[in-house]
Amino acid sequence: MEDKIDDLFDYVQVRCLWQFFSRTWDRQENIDGVLGKAYELFTGKEPSLKTPADKLYYADAKSMVSDCLASFPWIKQASEAEIRQVLDGLKVRLVENVITKSTNRELTHHLY
Amino acid sequence: MPMVLLKCDSDIPERQKHIYLKGPNEDSTEFLPVANAPTIPGTLSERGCAFCGAKLVIGGVLKDTIQMIHGPLGCAYDTWHTKRYPTDNGHFNMKYVWSTDMKESHVVFGGEKRLEQSMHEAFDEMPEIKRMIVYTTCPTALIGDDVKAVARKVMKDRPDVDVFTVECPGFAGVSQSKGHHVLNIGWINEKVATLEPEITSEYTMNFIGDFNIQGDTQLLQTYWDRLGIQVIAHFTGNGTYDALRGMHRAQLNVVNCARSSGYIANELKKQYGIPRLDIDSWGFNYMAEGIRKICAFFGIEEKGEALIADEYTKWKPKLDWYKERLQGKKMAIWTGGPRLWHWTKSVEDDLGIQVVAMSSKFGHEEDFEKVIARGQEGTYYIDDGNELEFFEILDLVKPDVVFTGPRVGELIKKLHIPYVNGHGYHNGPYMGFEGFVNLARDTYNAVYNPLRHLAGVDIRDANPVALPVKIREAA
Repeated sequence: MEDKIDDLFDYVQVRCLWQFFSRTWDRQENIDGVLGKAYELFTGKEPSLKTPADKLYYADAKSMVSDCLASFPWIKQASEAEIRQVLDGLKVRLVENVITKSTNRELTHHLY
Repeated sequence: MPMVLLKCDSDIPERQKHIYLKGPNEDSTEFLPVANAPTIPGTLSERGCAFCGAKLVIGGVLKDTIQMIHGPLGCAYDTWHTKRYPTDNGHFNMKYVWSTDMKESHVVFGGEKRLEQSMHEAFDEMPEIKRMIVYTTCPTALIGDDVKAVARKVMKDRPDVDVFTVECPGFAGVSQSKGHHVLNIGWINEKVATLEPEITSEYTMNFIGDFNIQGDTQLLQTYWDRLGIQVIAHFTGNGTYDALRGMHRAQLNVVNCARSSGYIANELKKQYGIPRLDIDSWGFNYMAEGIRKICAFFGIEEKGEALIADEYTKWKPKLDWYKERLQGKKMAIWTGGPRLWHWTKSVEDDLGIQVVAMSSKFGHEEDFEKVIARGQEGTYYIDDGNELEFFEILDLVKPDVVFTGPRVGELIKKLHIPYVNGHGYHNGPYMGFEGFVNLARDTYNAVYNPLRHLAGVDIRDANPVALPVKIREAA
């Protein structure tokens, strides 16, 4: 499981600008939003696209899912529960890396 | 590996906090260069000033706006025509420069009358121009000239004009980054939603943080036209003052330069609920990804794929020709901030180039988080580097080419190392598919240029030999 989380974490670190937005709340929103849509796409569910934010997270997740499916063959064999577990692990890792353990001194400033 | 104290910094050991050499399996939670911090006394910084960040980088790009610089003449001249941002209306912004030309008497007795007179004079001389940005500079800020009051008076006298003021003297903040911030926040607070844009498409966006360097904006605009997406405002490449007043009506904010312009995208999200999508516009892989994301947002994926396929057919063989010849070359990137993380992976993936050192003048810690995540192990990551550090790093990493600005570029050339203008480009545009081929071509021409070896030949010698060895004293 850790290896699979490593795969996705390494991919996100290198490719995804949404994890590095300006403030903690922006980063948390993006992590929750994109990984939520990624779960729906990985598991073949129809993602809801009702709000502008839905569409944004879908757009980011779609690229991520497409790249990960091409790079990591294990995803196609994974069950829904396994996908859930991997994405939950990825979320923990991302929150830790770009929010709780980040030493970026601007992350919590209340103004942009 | 820990943060690095270079030999040249032995007398200013504080610099160690600003220079990082990435080791195996390290990330930015362990080591993150201190950034957007005051320059350390004793180091000769390459930074610009906050006024420059507002005027030269963002405001001065607009194609229909008088840029009135309230200060001594040098502030105007030194932020004029040094940046290559053309426009489709004959490069109005690059042809003219405006200044109140403050003298000693104005500093002593106040410059408000001088400013008012200059504003009227400029509008009188250019009756077709109805928009103006007024910038304070160090002296006019120090004497407390009330530029907002003057702007209000001029607008009252001339009901058909609109004036925006930027109170960001050179001494504000630690670098030009402060100027980006002041202009962004001032604009959203004072000008956005003061004009309703005409909507011509069901798909609308703002394109934020692209300044039409040698035609970047105009090249990307051909993509948006083909996709049927209306760009309500370009912030600020080839842009207009009034288009920027209508930014609140876009469905999506697409951000390229998050450092200079992320603030306004964040505020547009907070105040108007417009989502922010960050993309990279340099590089084939990145550009394709950006187009795919934008098209996915609007539900027009098929159009996006057709566009990408067309562009790949046209430009990929050319890119590959250069890739074959640039494979394994070593590059250093010494620019402002975001181009470090925009470029390090794109030149690696698309051109096979290894980026061995990167220095940022005004990047924040967020920029270093991004570039350390994307950059390689064994690469140096430097905040606010100075000339001696550059020399020492060059000896350590021995790059084949350096992407930097003309000031540092002149030093590099004296060491017989090729340099490409990483700010204004050599022969751009560099964004988009065609643009990245231009970047590859300029890199190739720099790396393989035979003249730089000839420049190292001492013709007084009866048997001259090329001197590829870097001679520090020569600089």
